[in-house]
Amino acid sequence: MSRVLSLVLAHQPAVQIQQLLRWWSDYSSLDSLLIAYGGTEENFRSLPDVPRMFIDDARLKGKDLQREKQSYGGIWRATAKFLSEPANRDFSHIYFAEYDHLPVVRDIHCKLLERMQVEQADVLAHHLRRVDGTANPFYLNHIADPAFRPFWRKISRRTDKTTVLQMMGSASFWTREAFIQTANQPEEIKVYLELFLPSVAHHLGFRLRDLKEQNECVRHAPFEYLSVKYARQRGNWAVHPIKKLT
Amino acid sequence: MNNIKMKIVRPVMLWLFRQLGSDILDAETGAVISRALLVPWRGRILILGTVPDLVPVFQPEARMVQWKRTLGFTCHPAPDFPHEPRS
Repeated sequence: MSRVLSLVLAHQPAVQIQQLLRWWSDYSSLDSLLIAYGGTEENFRSLPDVPRMFIDDARLKGKDLQREKQSYGGIWRATAKFLSEPANRDFSHIYFAEYDHLPVVRDIHCKLLERMQVEQADVLAHHLRRVDGTANPFYLNHIADPAFRPFWRKISRRTDKTTVLQMMGSASFWTREAFIQTANQPEEIKVYLELFLPSVAHHLGFRLRDLKEQNECVRHAPFEYLSVKYARQRGNWAVHPIKKLT
Repeated sequence: MNNIKMKIVRPVMLWLFRQLGSDILDAETGAVISRALLVPWRGRILILGTVPDLVPVFQPEARMVQWKRTLGFTCHPAPDFPHEPRS
């Protein structure tokens, strides 16, 4: 029996978190939802009474997240600890989503579980691609660090230890094992989360697959007619970015 | 200042690169994968414009000559690596 933990990253004050919870309550039972809070400690104390954890990780915050190589390591480690508690041992899968990545179909967890089964995957991601040896700007920036390639050689269980994957960080779907093992991998070098998470999972032996047609309404930047309604009409399961809930 | 760069200078420069540049074809399929301006610069080639994750590949030459090589571009296929359990 599968049970999915919805792990939602947010940093807004309590009023907006309340709105976010109202939205999510249509798509996930609130006792299967965990807020990873990246805002201030003061705001964290005033949050509604739902499972939540304060993420005290300097690498989560920054002004230029891509160039400063933002990390979700703190979230992954805190969630792994949460999952290890006796009451949470039955969570078999984790659906991570940033606050502006919204589910738009009620059976999104079923759809993701089904897709995972079809793909025989351990991780499903948006805009997943292979970037090593390419003109990808993140990859080219990272290989300027002499410790980058040796790091993958050190941790990889794969024959080809040069592979580097990138996914969009706004949401991803993980098996419990893939999530916890990725969380347990020490961040010995600074790598941007969109490269670090999928590449670690890959080199630990997990199978990652792209969500293909589900990428249509999951973008880095909004386009003119991107909305919840449009996403639903186009058969999408989620939409990103939607900054304001109506 | 950064705002001006992002809102005005960047789009203008990208537009210029597209106008002056040429289509980049996938060396394997022949499909247009991007458009960019390629500029030889100090023994290297600058790729100016927003391009996808291009992989540079030297092209096969049906007729062998010593004076010409063609450098093309392609993209990696979508990741489809098997699950490799811990040994």
